[in-house]
Amino acid sequence: MTPEQKKAARIAWVIGLLVLGAIVLVDLGVHHHAHFEKDNITFDTLPEFWPLYGFTAAFVLLIAAKTLAVALKRKDTFYADD
Amino acid sequence: MRMTDYPPALILLVGVIILPMLKGRTRWAVAFALPVLALADAWAAIEVGANSFVPFMGMTLNPVHVHAATPAFATVFGIMVLGGLLYALNQKRESELPAACLYAGGAMGVLFSGDLISMFIFWEVMTLGSTVLIWLGRRKDSYGAGMRYFGMHAAGGVLLLIGIIIVIAQRIQAGDPAPLEFRHFDSMVQGWSTLSWSSAGMWLILLGMLVNAGAPPFSSWIPDSYPQGSSTGTVFLSAFTTKTAVFTLLTAFAGVEVVIYFGLYMAIYGVIYGILENDIRRLLSYSLVNQVGFMLVGIGIGTHLAIDGATGHAFAHIIYKALLFMGAGSVLFATGRTKMNQLGGLYKSMPVTMWCMIIGGLAISGFPLTSGFTSKSMVVQAIVDESARMAELGQSHTYLIVTWFLFEAATAGVFIDACVKLTWFVFFQKDSGLRPPEVPWNMRAAMIGFAAICIFLGIFPGPLYAILPFKAEAAEYAKVIYSVDHVMIMVGMLFFAGLSFFVLLPLMKRTETITLDLDWIWRRFIPKFWRDVVTPVLDQLNAAQKAVLEWFPGNGNESDLPTVVRRRLPGSWAVSVPVFMITAMLLIYLVVYFWLLPTQAA
Repeated sequence: MTPEQKKAARIAWVIGLLVLGAIVLVDLGVHHHAHFEKDNITFDTLPEFWPLYGFTAAFVLLIAAKTLAVALKRKDTFYADD
Repeated sequence: MRMTDYPPALILLVGVIILPMLKGRTRWAVAFALPVLALADAWAAIEVGANSFVPFMGMTLNPVHVHAATPAFATVFGIMVLGGLLYALNQKRESELPAACLYAGGAMGVLFSGDLISMFIFWEVMTLGSTVLIWLGRRKDSYGAGMRYFGMHAAGGVLLLIGIIIVIAQRIQAGDPAPLEFRHFDSMVQGWSTLSWSSAGMWLILLGMLVNAGAPPFSSWIPDSYPQGSSTGTVFLSAFTTKTAVFTLLTAFAGVEVVIYFGLYMAIYGVIYGILENDIRRLLSYSLVNQVGFMLVGIGIGTHLAIDGATGHAFAHIIYKALLFMGAGSVLFATGRTKMNQLGGLYKSMPVTMWCMIIGGLAISGFPLTSGFTSKSMVVQAIVDESARMAELGQSHTYLIVTWFLFEAATAGVFIDACVKLTWFVFFQKDSGLRPPEVPWNMRAAMIGFAAICIFLGIFPGPLYAILPFKAEAAEYAKVIYSVDHVMIMVGMLFFAGLSFFVLLPLMKRTETITLDLDWIWRRFIPKFWRDVVTPVLDQLNAAQKAVLEWFPGNGNESDLPTVVRRRLPGSWAVSVPVFMITAMLLIYLVVYFWLLPTQAA
């Protein structure tokens, strides 16, 4: 990376983290309703549940994919020699 | 006969014949006139609730009939053809337009089919048109991919046809006044979990439709075939086959629980395979499977709001998915590349394409102010409502709660796939040194137009809600969709999913690889098994047969054998397979005949 690109990347990270910080702050003030109240499931009303859920879901999916790749990854010419 | 007595599909099918005869501007003028006329005719038919009948080989077909979901699907199909044409305006492949007309005509025909036979005919027309479109991609593997695509859809078509025949036979037997009618299979809603002769036909129809929807184990035909089209052809391909399947499933199998599980598998599968994919158009194909999965979940739930959600989501999806494929097509057009490890740093030279793809990516993730938000949320809400209803009745509904949380996780997943990952690796990442000029005006105009629709429907969902099957429910839902609670759920979830991607970025390094799928079974395992195991055994048997014949006294020499036997020796294979097939068919005929006729007589 050139110095300018490094600088741009740093700025992008700062802006990104500011946006995420703003979301965290706003979410504290929002009342989330429970989606499955009748089943006594209320953890989705906790503050910051949804940012955490998004992060965790994506994290788990990414790791699951990489794990699957260990067994199933092949060169993209795999079928070409058929 | 009035104009509305003819299927609107015919207008598009006329294009297949006349477009090859025209040249230059006339050709384009006619090409643009056809979808406009088809759309006008479709709406004329919808307005009057047209219902026309045609005698055909002793049956009465119903090629014009307006189903609940027809208005929304017909409208978006028309818009799609127009947008696709505009995008293809600078395209030099002359045969691509007629093929696109054949394809779209078949799809439009299915929407207005009031009987199972018309539906099947248009269904197969669609298969033909799409296969030709794949072949016309003229990429390295286009021919092979087209053949595999055709094989898959021909097989699905056979399941569908056998199912239709059984259903019609059973209806005639039961004294149904309209045995051919294409309508909802009520008995499947409760009876899907019991396999019996009475549900066999419906199951086959369901499976035939699921093949076209890209359901497991046949999801791989989408990433296998669509990326083999041309930069413009793939845009058409992304729109019709799977969404026509969604339409037919919606019409015939709404509320059938098993469809939820197919949908959920597709939603997760599409995300995971998309994460690993290096080719941008294959990645988009995987996210297409993911999105159709969401629609299938809505169909499986089957409440009014869920059906509205599946229909609305299909509408929104066709636009943003075409937009994303247009963006990918533009990258291919400008650079000749589709592999992410060979791309990067295009943000400066292709800003219009980039912004349009970002809008498409936000829409596919259901980000607020985009069409994905206003359409997908209906399915999400329908799951919650249905779960509450079943809780009140004391019915088991844990599967709905699990479905809901997985659904939201898959939404986060598709955001990192089709929005963050795509934008990052194509337009930023490293500088690939590519400085292509932005694509021609018509391609930009088509992308900007579709991006505008994505945002318009995100802010003003009213016009879309007004053509959904259950307008009242949709209008009711429109009042609460932009609650702070709901918006913050999506914003928080998606942005933090994006953070996850950048935290794990070192793991995401692109390699020129594919991920094996279930199609490995029939593309690699079965051919190899046949070649390495079955063929040697058959050769041994042949040798043994020869040895036995030689053992007969006086028959040591092949030429001493009677002519009949001698003729059989080398060609015994060629005869035995057809004989076996004919015997099998006669047996099936016999079984069906004996099963059906006596009861009918009684």
